[in-house]
Amino acid sequence: MIVLRIATGLFAAFVALPLLWLVYAAFLPAEALLMADLTTLGFTLQNFRDVVGTGLFSSMAVSVVASGTTVLAQLAFGLAAAYAIRNGARVTALVLVLLALPSELLLVPLYRLLQTLLLIDTLGALIVPFLASPLVVFLLLQALRRVAWEVVEAARIDGASEAVILTRVVTPILRPELTAAAVLAFAAHWNLVLFPRVTTTEDLWTVQVFLSNLLRTRPFEWGLLGAAALLASAPILVLYVVFEKRILSTFEAGFRT
Amino acid sequence: MLRSQRHARWLALPATAVFVLFGVVPLLTVIRYAGWRWSGVSDPTPVGFDNMVRLFGDGELWRSLGTTAAFAGLTIPIFLVLSLMVASAIYKTRLERFVKALLFAPGLVTVGGSAIAWYLLYNPDFGVVRELTGWSLPWTTQPFAALVYVVAFTLWQQTGYGVLVVSAALRGIPTEVKEAARLDGASEPGVFRFVTLPLLRPTLTFLTIIATVLSLQSYTAVYLLTGGGPFGSTRVLGFYLYETAFERFELGYGAAITLFVLVVTLLVAVAQALALRDRGVGRGAMAGDA
Repeated sequence: MIVLRIATGLFAAFVALPLLWLVYAAFLPAEALLMADLTTLGFTLQNFRDVVGTGLFSSMAVSVVASGTTVLAQLAFGLAAAYAIRNGARVTALVLVLLALPSELLLVPLYRLLQTLLLIDTLGALIVPFLASPLVVFLLLQALRRVAWEVVEAARIDGASEAVILTRVVTPILRPELTAAAVLAFAAHWNLVLFPRVTTTEDLWTVQVFLSNLLRTRPFEWGLLGAAALLASAPILVLYVVFEKRILSTFEAGFRT
Repeated sequence: MLRSQRHARWLALPATAVFVLFGVVPLLTVIRYAGWRWSGVSDPTPVGFDNMVRLFGDGELWRSLGTTAAFAGLTIPIFLVLSLMVASAIYKTRLERFVKALLFAPGLVTVGGSAIAWYLLYNPDFGVVRELTGWSLPWTTQPFAALVYVVAFTLWQQTGYGVLVVSAALRGIPTEVKEAARLDGASEPGVFRFVTLPLLRPTLTFLTIIATVLSLQSYTAVYLLTGGGPFGSTRVLGFYLYETAFERFELGYGAAITLFVLVVTLLVAVAQALALRDRGVGRGAMAGDA
């Protein structure tokens, strides 16, 4: 048991290291990095000033708009679909199959489809294909299965329409799961790399395309890379720290037997 | 009442329409595109089965299949063992919540930022780990080290999911079952081996299949970390597909490779499901229909 705990501790340290480094490297002065002397602890904000003008902020704006819009749609469509499945709609198999199919695999046919729909190189390319998410439907469905169904049936007997039941009865009960699903879905969309790279050009680069490009074009400017990486990670890190408990419990509950 | 329930089923329509248009339609149309010569810009030319024939003689494709198998073969067993180990070690301890929160974080934080952090830490020429310890993983020059690097990053990113899934399953095991074994004189390793592990079986099966399917198809980590190199040693199937279609602009042949990846994934997943079922897996890892 002791051995297991030590091994777990080591693995946790291995996981923590890049996360801590992400925060730390952003504030290191260029000399400390160039001299490879990390013992003289320096602190500078110069790296953040260097980031201005690189295009990071406009790519973050594209990402926030695209991921934000996408998540709102995914929650609305996902809740409606989960509720429909709970009422007997038979699309569970479709959801599960698509859950195991990453968008980066279907890039070629998706590219053609977006061409046909005239969406290539528009904001729509980043949003329309992701208006519904199998993961969101799955998590909300698992959450709905734990809801005492008498509540819904009572509302029906009282003559409430399905729209009213969904917005006034189900939504408040599922608020924690909706929050968690929103953060998970936001992160999933925010972290797409190859799909936005292929379907858009520089004006619409998302933050991931920008970062991967920065790493390729300026690999020796550590401070700049560190600051850009930290700034780009900040929104997700904040969301995660605030909602961590709900996210973990929703994800775990989704996979409980 | 029944009628309104039937009305409620129509609410699946918007999501289903999106799933069909951007999930099912690409899955079907890719078959047609595999018969094209097409650069992505000009109009496609139908070439019949040329692309399919080309698949069989394409040494680079079979090599990347081998790389993918090596990647999956390294990643999945370590992923399963780590998930099981960490989830058991932290189960009902004070650190459980903290460790879970920590391990889940890399899956969510900005992946491009993570790639940068890894690059600055583990670069074999001037990375921090090398500066501090003198040791480094030569992933820029040595093929196997590069594969290990991609595997390590993938484990770093994904193990949190596995831990959460195993942890959820551990909680589903009634304490009475374990207590009964202890009363019968079973040691702690014995309880784990003969009570906990068999009861976790459906969960581990589920994790194995999901991990396999995703490791055969995904390649974002390769794109961000090594770009397939050095010497094509980390060019997994997905990345070969990407290079062919969007760097060499042979989208028709890219479609053929997509089909190839889909068929390989399906065959492996079915074989795995059958093999794991034959060994007596009872129920699925996911709850059945309500």
